[in-house]
Amino acid sequence: MTWLWASVKTYSFAQPTALLNPLSIVLNNSMPNIVEIAVSNDSFTTLVAAVQAAGLVEALQSPGPFTVFAPTDEAFAQLPPGTVQTLVQNPPQLARILKFHVVMGKLTQADLARLKTVTSLEGSMIPVNCENNVFEVKNATVVAADIEADNGIIHVIDRVILMG
Amino acid sequence: MLSSIIWLPVLGALLIGLLPNSSRLIAGITAAASLAVTIVIAAMFNYQDAGLQFIEHLSWIQPLGLDYVLGLDGLSLPLVILNALLLFLAVQSTNKEVDRPRLFYALLLLVGAAVMGAFLAHNLLLFFLFYELELIPLYLLITIWGGERRGYAATKFLIYQALSGMVLLAGFLSWAWFAKTGDFNYESLAATHLPANLQLLFLCIILLGFGIKMPLVPFHTWLPDAYVESSTPVSMLLGGIVSKLGTYGLIRFGLGLFPDAWVIVAPWLALISVVTAVYGSIIAIAQTDIKKTIAYSSVAHLSYVLLAISAGNSLSVLGAVYQMVAHGLILALLFNLVGIIEAKTGTRELAQLHGLLNSQRGLPFVGTMLILTMMASAGIPGMVGFVGEFLSFQGSYLAFPVITIICLGSTGLTSVYFVLIINRALFGKLEENIIYLPKVQGYERVPAIILAILIVLLGVQPNIVISHVQVTTDALVAGVSQDSNTLALLKVNQSEFPTGLSL
Amino acid sequence: MTITTATKIPPSTHEFATVIHRLEAGGAMLPDTPENLMQIIGLYKAYAVPMDFYWRDLLYIAEQVFLDPLPAFKYFLPQEYLDLANHYAGDDADLRIWQKGAASAHPELLEFMEKGRSAKMPKIFHHLLHDRINMEFAEACMQAMYWQRGMGGQFDPYLDTEEYKQNADRAIKAYFKGNPAMLGLYKLFPEMFIEQVRQMSYYSNLGLFWEVMAPVFFEMSDLYDAGKIKSVPDAMNFLVNGIFAVAGRPIYHHVYIRGELFEIIPKSCGFTWLYEAALPYVEAVFYRTAPFRGTKSYNAQAEQVPGEQKDFHYGILYADVNPVGSAGIPPTLLMDDMYHFLPQYLLDYYEQHCRGKDDMLIQLGVSFQRSMYCVTSAVIQALRGALLYPLDDPNPLHLQANRDFFESQIDRFKRPEARLRDIQSQEYR
Repeated sequence: MTWLWASVKTYSFAQPTALLNPLSIVLNNSMPNIVEIAVSNDSFTTLVAAVQAAGLVEALQSPGPFTVFAPTDEAFAQLPPGTVQTLVQNPPQLARILKFHVVMGKLTQADLARLKTVTSLEGSMIPVNCENNVFEVKNATVVAADIEADNGIIHVIDRVILMG
Repeated sequence: MLSSIIWLPVLGALLIGLLPNSSRLIAGITAAASLAVTIVIAAMFNYQDAGLQFIEHLSWIQPLGLDYVLGLDGLSLPLVILNALLLFLAVQSTNKEVDRPRLFYALLLLVGAAVMGAFLAHNLLLFFLFYELELIPLYLLITIWGGERRGYAATKFLIYQALSGMVLLAGFLSWAWFAKTGDFNYESLAATHLPANLQLLFLCIILLGFGIKMPLVPFHTWLPDAYVESSTPVSMLLGGIVSKLGTYGLIRFGLGLFPDAWVIVAPWLALISVVTAVYGSIIAIAQTDIKKTIAYSSVAHLSYVLLAISAGNSLSVLGAVYQMVAHGLILALLFNLVGIIEAKTGTRELAQLHGLLNSQRGLPFVGTMLILTMMASAGIPGMVGFVGEFLSFQGSYLAFPVITIICLGSTGLTSVYFVLIINRALFGKLEENIIYLPKVQGYERVPAIILAILIVLLGVQPNIVISHVQVTTDALVAGVSQDSNTLALLKVNQSEFPTGLSL
Repeated sequence: MTITTATKIPPSTHEFATVIHRLEAGGAMLPDTPENLMQIIGLYKAYAVPMDFYWRDLLYIAEQVFLDPLPAFKYFLPQEYLDLANHYAGDDADLRIWQKGAASAHPELLEFMEKGRSAKMPKIFHHLLHDRINMEFAEACMQAMYWQRGMGGQFDPYLDTEEYKQNADRAIKAYFKGNPAMLGLYKLFPEMFIEQVRQMSYYSNLGLFWEVMAPVFFEMSDLYDAGKIKSVPDAMNFLVNGIFAVAGRPIYHHVYIRGELFEIIPKSCGFTWLYEAALPYVEAVFYRTAPFRGTKSYNAQAEQVPGEQKDFHYGILYADVNPVGSAGIPPTLLMDDMYHFLPQYLLDYYEQHCRGKDDMLIQLGVSFQRSMYCVTSAVIQALRGALLYPLDDPNPLHLQANRDFFESQIDRFKRPEARLRDIQSQEYR
């Protein structure tokens, strides 16, 4: 997995402000990429800010493809106070947590159900549970599955997942 | 003067009967008073005089030849002090919550008084009276306040001791009858001259009597039971001073009265002593009960005294007296410490005692003292045991070289069983079932501190005792015929050692 | 919450079912009694003061002393490190949740360093008389972590990478610049030097870990004094929140050689406080460590010492605190350090029990054990929160997953030497 790790790292410290201009989505005629979807949705403000802080914007706009488990704002809000603040102060550490939410390849719910575990960009494994009519990623539940993007796919989850 | 140190404790015992609520205090005060008077006497003692001092002579029952004759010489002086000291310390180391305290303290004082009397008596019948008198309170002390098997132990003790007394009485009576002195005074008996075969007969009888008291193998079986089953202060007295009655008797009435016959039995005595030493040491190694180990070690260590006495030269007899003092101090302290351990942990079993040196929850003070005492007992230089053994063996080597060397070997066994105890009980991890041990109170430490100071003091400055003893022991052995060669050697040694030991 | 859990899934049949149910109800392994609360908070306070020294000195050694072949003065903390601002204390804290007091060294610590328990005298005498903070304890913890290695996280595997070796190599060469003897030695035995650098990295790791814990413990003591922490679960939850709040704190190893910064482990590696320091620390120090020399003889042939390092259980959660008081062993050193800073209420409390002053070290050792069971409970609850489900989750499957997690954690305390059983009772002192 080290090559993946390294490939993502090279995108660090990008200048995301211009790229995150909502206008750019409008101007772009093709299917929106992962970042654009996140930015356009109100419930991902924390996630977007975090991705920005961690300098992962450019990486997530690259062709990928990626599968992103995107925690909602409520998911971030469940973390005890200070958690996000410390992470935002330390981009490499934040990037690592965020990379745990990203998997290489475009994996739909059906693919994930088959795989049962996938390896995150961070390097740790993410177990997926699709039995009994549920779609759970580790200890989070997917609230919206299979949101297609230009460079991957997004599954919205209700809890920030952590390694271990 | 001498009477006072006998009758002060008796007075204390009576007072305890009259004033029921402060028995410990009264016992402590009278024992202390007796000790104080003893120290005064020791200070007034003329150590250049080989004869009896502070003589008290009262005619008592003339037809029987029983006179009240008390006297003190260099042989009895250290033992008298030891007795007064141990009596005081025994009172101190008595559990404050002892059952029936009035009886206990009264009996303890009576034991002290009787033993004191025996050391001071210079009439054979009077000696015998005190010698027997000490038995009754001791029997009661064991049988009432002893451990689990106290009844058995006390009865066995009584039977053996009574036997010892009877044998002695028979010896004394028949002897006086043959000697036709008309009384039993030591001086008049010492002046008589009996034929060698009769001397031998009486000596053997007396040896038997004191041999049971000491005890010697094979008469030792009462000892472990009695020592182990007794409560701490009683075993301190038993091991510390009562056992010395036997060795004291051997010197005073055996060596002193039958010098000619002594030379004949001496090799056999030496043989018995070496058997006792080796046997006692080996049995001690096998024990799992600390108190039993100490009891058997007592048997072994007292046999060195016998060896030294049997050698019968001035150095060895001096060593014997010194070893008696050393043994008394060490054994009393050992029993005191084991008593504290038992009182705090509820056991004396090696299997259950570990890590007592733990500085927080263990018994670090007791542990340290135990190591010190065991070192003293094993004859580490700088402590009292070394001086006693060194003098004894140096003296006895002249007469019995092989036996002395074997005995020296058995002192090595002392280290074996004591290191076993130190290693198992003191070092290692504190056993978890005994982690909430009660604290050792300040007053409980007093006896140990006093004894430990004496053990070290007399180890580095033996002249304190030797100077008071030497003239008497020299006079005692003067009657014993010495081989000319050994005598010559002795003279050299004698002139050398005071400078050598006083350092 | 207990009631909901109980109705959703059947009660646990675990040996420590009461403890499991307590954890499921949001409690700690330690029973919630005022006596326990007082003991653990008092010990946090007493621990925090020496810890304030430990972390500063650990960082000083890792960053400045570094490979000094004769580090005789490594426990002599320079003023610079006493003034060093704790990232999580003071007004300029990165995270303003425990910002009470100054960010520099704690006043009680400074007072002790000046006077000791004897008298005011030059530092060197305090050092030689051992009248000082027992830094050896902190080093023993570091060594436990380093010796066990592989306690999870990416920090430890990173120490074996080429990248790390190159960083270390650069620092070693810079450090011994102009010292041909040491450079020659390095040529001959490069691995030995790298190994030393690895140890220095663990110094840094532990120092950064404790930098956080010291203000947390101070704050807990203040909150308790102010009546804001009222129960053991309150204390535990404060710790749980603390664990999350600083989880993302970077763990790194910087070395300053003649003023120049060498990043042996750069912050950009992304190593975090929770994964690379806290969890390995708990595993290595609370659970495993190694038997302390001088406390007991072990016979390896009789399998009295486990063959596998993972089976080692000699940590504070298992320790028999009685050998405390024997000279030189790490727990004694710590107990001795904490003894100087006990709050008055604990001094009074210990005076009433066992042997009072005489065995206070052991009594506080047992309290420390209780307090570390509370910390471990916080770690378990934090992991449950991070990896599993809320305690009031409506889904019985989720509750069962929580139950399984708790049970697997408590299984580690089934060992006979574990103190979980003992700390349930107040009589264990």
